[in-house]
Amino acid sequence: MNTLITVLFLIFAAIILASAIMTVTVKNIVHAALWLISSFFGVGALYLLMEAEFLGVAQVLIYVGAVSILILFAIMLTRDLEGSQNRQLTPRWWIALIVPAALFSLLIVPTVMTHAWQLPPPPPAGQPPAISGAQQIGAAFMREYLLPFEVAAILLTVAMIGAIVVAFEERERRRRVLTLAEQVRLRQRQQQRQQPAPRPEPAATAVQPSEATGSET
Amino acid sequence: MTDILRSWIGGALPDWLIVLIAYLLVTLIVLFYAVGNFIMMVWAERRVIARMQDRLGPNRVGPAGLLQPIADAVKMFTKEDIVPRNADRWVHLLAPIVALAPVAMMLAVVPWGRGWEPIDLNVALLYIVAVSAVSGVGLMMAGWGSNNKFALLGAMRAVAQLVSYEIPAVTALLTVVVLAGGMSLLDLPYMQAGVPIMGATILCGDPAGCSPLLYSTVTSFPGSPNEPVQALDLGLGWWVFTPVGFLGFLVFFIAALAEGERTPFDIPEADSEIVAGYMTEYSGMKFATFYIAQYILNFALSALAATAFLGGWQGPGVAALANMGGPWVHVAAALSAFYLLAKIWILFFVMIWLRGAFPRLRVDQLMDFAWKLLLPLALVNIVSASLMVGLTQWTSAQWGGLVNLDGFAPWQRQLIAVLVTAIINIAAAYWILAINQRPREAEWDEEELVIAP
Repeated sequence: MNTLITVLFLIFAAIILASAIMTVTVKNIVHAALWLISSFFGVGALYLLMEAEFLGVAQVLIYVGAVSILILFAIMLTRDLEGSQNRQLTPRWWIALIVPAALFSLLIVPTVMTHAWQLPPPPPAGQPPAISGAQQIGAAFMREYLLPFEVAAILLTVAMIGAIVVAFEERERRRRVLTLAEQVRLRQRQQQRQQPAPRPEPAATAVQPSEATGSET
Repeated sequence: MTDILRSWIGGALPDWLIVLIAYLLVTLIVLFYAVGNFIMMVWAERRVIARMQDRLGPNRVGPAGLLQPIADAVKMFTKEDIVPRNADRWVHLLAPIVALAPVAMMLAVVPWGRGWEPIDLNVALLYIVAVSAVSGVGLMMAGWGSNNKFALLGAMRAVAQLVSYEIPAVTALLTVVVLAGGMSLLDLPYMQAGVPIMGATILCGDPAGCSPLLYSTVTSFPGSPNEPVQALDLGLGWWVFTPVGFLGFLVFFIAALAEGERTPFDIPEADSEIVAGYMTEYSGMKFATFYIAQYILNFALSALAATAFLGGWQGPGVAALANMGGPWVHVAAALSAFYLLAKIWILFFVMIWLRGAFPRLRVDQLMDFAWKLLLPLALVNIVSASLMVGLTQWTSAQWGGLVNLDGFAPWQRQLIAVLVTAIINIAAAYWILAINQRPREAEWDEEELVIAP
């Protein structure tokens, strides 16, 4: 079973890396988003391989179901898809490759070198594994890590309010699109106001042109 | 399934291969089951909607038109596959697959009968929600890849609808999670044993005198988790009979209609406005794939609604047959599978019925309905569900001495919980409906309104 898991891990890792590379190199931005989704799926599969089912499913739910759909929405609602004409690589791409790689290795190499790896980790006697299910995560959020959890919640609320404030238009500047029936009624009322003493017959005839213009718009 | 295969060909093959073959077989069975139901559903929908509209419907191919779906399938197979010249070829090709695959994955965790469960996933409810969200990506790909404004509009509408109706649906499912104390779907039917409203709380006083036909051993039920007891079990303790389950079922079923793009909510493919939405540029088998995806989604959502609120495979006689032991266990399993299928088909019939009865909503009505009616109801329902669990299961120490129900029998606690939650839910439903029906305040002064030039 262990070799099978290793093979599966290698396959998923290859999928993740390949899609991640495609995400940053492909020219069409929608394709990039789709490759990103495939990469997210690979990460979810890795979580499942580690038997962290809740994390795997949450990864799919949040990243594929919400984040990437938002990304797709944003891409499709913006008009300019001309990014596909631009060059992906500048002439100095090798600098851009070396600097982040150096910084990243600065971060990761000491950890990898100094950490005492124990594979597989010895199971703690008489204890359930630390993060295996929703119940443990829920308990951790509500007890040990209550403060970070609340801070994150407040941060998200603030972000949401901020989004509403940004998207909110002043009432004077808002313009509602009237339905045809409302336009006709409005015209009638305006015309009645202009003629203070409307006699019955002209009022009836005056409706008709307004109706005609209303249906034009 | 794995065990059967092991006993057959145990020595000949390595163990992992047997497991793989067993899962493959189960997958095939479930998929064929779903596709067979899809074929019948297409026929049933056309016949029933025709009956409602005073027409005949397909009645030429086979008896009562039963073979019509097969004729349609042959037609679909032989149709030309048209790809628009400016379409994004790969995205256009992959979209139906991405739309169908998650829907098929939803079927994996549903317990189709007593003991007939493909996979035991302990986060099954969340899993279903997660994979159903993925199909939105497929719709988006279809809309964008077709390079057609109607398709893009339809995809936008579809995804907006999916995303906003997911919230009431998930919130309604959360009541089930609260009631069950976990997210596994397999336990849900076992927990809905018993009699209507009371659940499995009417205990057997004298263990010797209780007939195994009426009483069965229930391990987990509200009131005494983990402690097996003999309780009166008619297989009817469905949660839909309690106030919490009823409200949850209503909210979930309406949200499922919207997720499955059934008629009052079929805005994404409104034929009279935007041709056929994201399916506009699809023909032949690709179109058929979308079609299958939609019907199987409806099938899976009905199965989920049935399992979560209508007792799943639970029904009169299943527990009695299972208690008789021996070969009767298999009869019980078959009967339970029949019950689940019957529930799915009744729900599907209601879907067709709604299609015959209601016109299509507007987009703003759709959003108002989700955010102003369904979501508040579902939120109130979570409070009720928590109260229900507290009133039936918690000891007075857990309540902090606030409520002391330790002296009461389980059925008394259940009755108290049902009454309390009924009052809360009815009051909340009445209040929220009243708010929604209040005439809208005149937000716009007549003088301010300007006719667009």
